[in-house]
Amino acid sequence: MTSLYIRWGGLLIVAMVLTGLTYSHYQQHLATLSPKQVNEQNPSQEVRVLGMVRGGTLKGNVAGGDATFALVENNTTIPVHYHGPPPDNLRELKTLILIGKWNSSDNVFEARDIGLVTNYGFVVGAYLIGLIPLGIFLFAMSRRVGLLYEEIKASKLYQEE
Amino acid sequence: MIIHRVIRKVQRFQGWFGGGAALCIIAGLYLGLIGSPPDYYQGEVVRIMYIHVPLAHTSLFAYIVLSIGSMWYLWKRDPIVDNMCHAVAALGAIFTTLALATGMIWGKPTWNTWWTWDARLTSYTVMLLILIGYLMLRTFIDDPEKEARYAAVLAILGLVDLPIIHFSVEWWRTLHQPQSISMRGVSISSGILVPLLCMSIGMTLLFSYMLMVRTQLLYLDRLLHAKKGRLLSQFHMSKTDP
Repeated sequence: MTSLYIRWGGLLIVAMVLTGLTYSHYQQHLATLSPKQVNEQNPSQEVRVLGMVRGGTLKGNVAGGDATFALVENNTTIPVHYHGPPPDNLRELKTLILIGKWNSSDNVFEARDIGLVTNYGFVVGAYLIGLIPLGIFLFAMSRRVGLLYEEIKASKLYQEE
Repeated sequence: MIIHRVIRKVQRFQGWFGGGAALCIIAGLYLGLIGSPPDYYQGEVVRIMYIHVPLAHTSLFAYIVLSIGSMWYLWKRDPIVDNMCHAVAALGAIFTTLALATGMIWGKPTWNTWWTWDARLTSYTVMLLILIGYLMLRTFIDDPEKEARYAAVLAILGLVDLPIIHFSVEWWRTLHQPQSISMRGVSISSGILVPLLCMSIGMTLLFSYMLMVRTQLLYLDRLLHAKKGRLLSQFHMSKTDP
C-alpha cells in the first residue's frame, strides 16, 4: 500500500507542477487587463486589453487596418490607435481583445493586433471535469485492489482449505 | 485457453500501459493547451476537443470490447471474459458520462446551448443508458451464470446503437459537426491533429490500464466472497456434525 501512496503522491506533484506552469503561461501570455487597470498601472510592456468599442467613436481606415476609437469597460474609457493587419471583427459595440502597448506620454493605447474574446472558463471546466473523476476513480480502484490483497493475505484465504 | 494466455501476457505489461498513458496525456495536455493554435472560428474553445474527442472515442472502443467479450462469453462460457466484460461496462459508463459532460461544456459557447436533442447526442445518451442498464442487470440477478448470460445478451443487442452513433452526423442534419478523421481523409491541420492523436492514444492506454486494475478488483472481490462463503459453510457443517 505504501508504494501505491508514493506513486500517487508523485503523480499529484507532477499534476500540481503542470497546473502551476499552465497558470503562469496564462498569466504571461493570455490574461487580459481592463481599461481601468491600464490607466492605473501604466504598463510598459506589451499587454492584452479587454473591452468594448464605444459606439460613435470608430474613425479612420478600418478596412485598411488603421483606425482610432475608444475602448470602454465598466465606465472607464481609453483612447486606442489601431495599426495592424486589416481586422475582420473591428466594429462599434463589439467586445474584443486588443494586443499592444500603452503610450503613457500621449495616454493612447497603440494596438497592433485584435483577438477574439476567449472563454477559458469553459476550457478549464471541461479539462477538470474530464480528468479529475478519472483520477479519483483509478486511485479508488487501485487502493481497493491493495486492500483486497492484504485482506486475502491476512486471512490466509489463498491457502488450501 | 488462448484468451487466458493473452490476458495473462497483457497483464504483465500493466505498468507500461499506465506509464505510457501518463506520458501521452501529459504531452497531449501540453500540446493541446499551449502548443496548438486557436481555431479561426471557435477561438480558444476548440481546446476542449482534445479532451472531449478522446473520451468519446475511448467510450466507443469500450463498447466494442464489451460486445466482443460478450459474444466470446456466450460462445465459450468463460468466466474470466465475463469478469472483464463487467469491468469494461463500468469504465465505459464513466468514459461516456465524461464525454457527454465535456461535450455539453463545449456546446454552450459554440452552439449557445448546453443540450439539444441532436441525433448524435441522443444516440450517444442511449449508449450510456444501455451501459447503466447492463450494470443494473448484473446487480439485480442472484444466479451468477444467469447474470452473465443476460448481461451478455443485452450488450450484444445494444451493439445496434454503435453504427447509429457513428453515422448519425451523415444520416441526419445535426448540430454536431461531421467527422474530421475518416476513411476519406483528414480535414484538420497537423497542429491540431498531433495533440488530438496524443490524447487519444493516452486515453486508450489509460482505459486499458484501468481495465486491468478493475478486472483484478472484481476477480479478487469474487474470490474473497467465494472463499469466505465456503469457509462459513464448512464451519456450519462441522458445528452440525454429531
